[in-house]
Amino acid sequence: MTSALNPQTVPLARRLLSFTWITIGIAVLVTVVVGINYPSILVSTLATGGMWALMAGGLALVFGVMNIPNFAHGEFFMIGSLASFTVFTPIQNELLEHPSTLLLVLGPFPGMILAALVGAAVGVVMEVFLFRPLRRRSRDQWVMNTFLLTAGISVVLVNGNQLLFGNDFRGITRYWDVPPLQVLGVSVAVDRALVFIIALITIALFSVFLRSTRTGRAMRAVSQDETGAQMVGIDLNRIFMLTLGLSCGLASLAGASLLFMFPSYPSVGVQPLYLAWYVVILAGLGNVQGAVVGAFIVALLQTLTVYFIGVGWVDVLPTAFIIFILLFKPSGLFGSEVKGVWEQ
Amino acid sequence: MPARTSVSAMRAFLADRRVPVVAFVLLLLVLPLIPPFNRQDFTRYLVVAVFMAAQAVAFDFTAGYINVVNFGFAAFVGLGGYTSGLLAANYGLSPWIGIFVGALAAGLLGLLTGALTLRLRGIYAAVMAWFVGLALMGIVRNWADVTRGSLGLNVPLFFASSDNLPYYYVILAMLLVTLLVLALVIRSHLGLAFRAIGQNVQAARASGINPTRYLVINFTLSSAFAGLLGGFYAHYYGILTPDVMLTSRTVEVLAIAYIGGRGSLWGGAVIAIPLGIGVELLRIQFSDLPGIHLVLYGILLILVMIYRPAGVAGFLRGLDARLRRGGSAAHEGE
Repeated sequence: MTSALNPQTVPLARRLLSFTWITIGIAVLVTVVVGINYPSILVSTLATGGMWALMAGGLALVFGVMNIPNFAHGEFFMIGSLASFTVFTPIQNELLEHPSTLLLVLGPFPGMILAALVGAAVGVVMEVFLFRPLRRRSRDQWVMNTFLLTAGISVVLVNGNQLLFGNDFRGITRYWDVPPLQVLGVSVAVDRALVFIIALITIALFSVFLRSTRTGRAMRAVSQDETGAQMVGIDLNRIFMLTLGLSCGLASLAGASLLFMFPSYPSVGVQPLYLAWYVVILAGLGNVQGAVVGAFIVALLQTLTVYFIGVGWVDVLPTAFIIFILLFKPSGLFGSEVKGVWEQ
Repeated sequence: MPARTSVSAMRAFLADRRVPVVAFVLLLLVLPLIPPFNRQDFTRYLVVAVFMAAQAVAFDFTAGYINVVNFGFAAFVGLGGYTSGLLAANYGLSPWIGIFVGALAAGLLGLLTGALTLRLRGIYAAVMAWFVGLALMGIVRNWADVTRGSLGLNVPLFFASSDNLPYYYVILAMLLVTLLVLALVIRSHLGLAFRAIGQNVQAARASGINPTRYLVINFTLSSAFAGLLGGFYAHYYGILTPDVMLTSRTVEVLAIAYIGGRGSLWGGAVIAIPLGIGVELLRIQFSDLPGIHLVLYGILLILVMIYRPAGVAGFLRGLDARLRRGGSAAHEGE
């Protein structure tokens, strides 16, 4: 998680001409141009981009700290949306019968908070009962083995959900039942605006946590050098538990927040999963800061594709873009040096 | 004394490596003739199981040897199926030729994907293959003028009759050819290079192996066989939808390959038959609970990954080693 873009060593002009900055520049330019002409694209990009940043940030963190490429990450999006739906629906009914401003404003939050907690709890259970035994047995081929292990977990969670709760769509039209805001003559759905704000606050808290708290620093230490971290007295098991819990909690929060766009059903996590993976591959595996920036680029690509080409092409164009990027920068846009400790 | 010699003769017979192979092939040859497998529905389960077995073998060729998991495997299968299916449906090409064109198409895509991604770390290659698979599925779903998208493409069948038995022998032949060809490759110097790279890329490089070249050869071969099997799928079911390329299909194959035992080729083939039939029966028993077979696959995969990394093949190898050591060792326990 060391800053890959070290300002001291590279002259400013070269830095700005680098492939990474050209890409970011183009993305910003496109966002501005499109945003002026089609404001709704801008709003969608920001709302989804913020949530993909939570998804991708957690995915990158788990890869950086634990060397686990989590294929079940989308299932936490699913768990979050299900938990939030379960909590929010009775609140919504209550609201219909007894309208109250306080409940209108605060109603969605219990579901979101509970979703994050449930997701985190499932993450911790996963670490304690699945990854820890595997770690104790063998670390050979750890990255590929855990990738397969999480593929198994994903299958169990998706189909377990289907067995327990059926294949229905559980969705809501909106969290905050209020008319859209008028910002500079553009109408913005309140849900989208608030979801973006929730994402920003969470990203800020997440980054403060990683930078300034003892635990956050310990996490970064483990991601840089596991043995060294252990030598200075960091309890690895505790860090792993917290990391996976945090990452899964963030994914569940994303699922809960986007419930109005993605109704809950067993395989709702598939698209967020591969979008988060697009981001992480684009940004460089294990690079959390890069993932946050990359999330907005991918959200922009996704929204542009949906608006101008068609919903179905969402899978095709970002892939083409990522292959293109990787031709020039095999290690991702931000060229993260965070390498799997257990890889040769 | 004669009893003892017959015991040792028996033991020598069992220890001969050719015996289980011949027994396995013979069993597969006669299985659909023995009740209850001679019933049409059971023969169909057998066809599906052998199809899964063949896919697991082709999958294990990359996953088990070069340690690159092709997460887009189902898309390569689907590409082979669609290529052959479209050629047969639109140009009247015989399925028997079309499946090889499909194999070629999938092999070409494997070559491209491999050449682009296999220079990178294994996890990148796995994820990029997944993306390529997703993109391919997106194209098939949206290019409805050609593929008819989610409506499904009607494809001519191999045979005029709807009897499952001829299909069984076709897919069995495909399984045996896949096993034979890939096992021969593994035995050649290529196989040695694959293993060396799969275990330690740096060491392989240090001993003069160009990893990328071998990785690409491996990936291309596996993809081509995936495409060939996709051709069978197309001309057996007679209808293709983009769903053949779903990631969950890859995970099913992956689960069987790993439960069977990575790096064995035959492990997946051996376990796929009972597992495939068992799963079909389970599905029918619990038809009101869709997805229960996938939960089972998932749990088995998780358990195997954590506690029995060598899978069923590892278990059978241990049994084999015990037989070889002779009777006294058999009583010692572990």
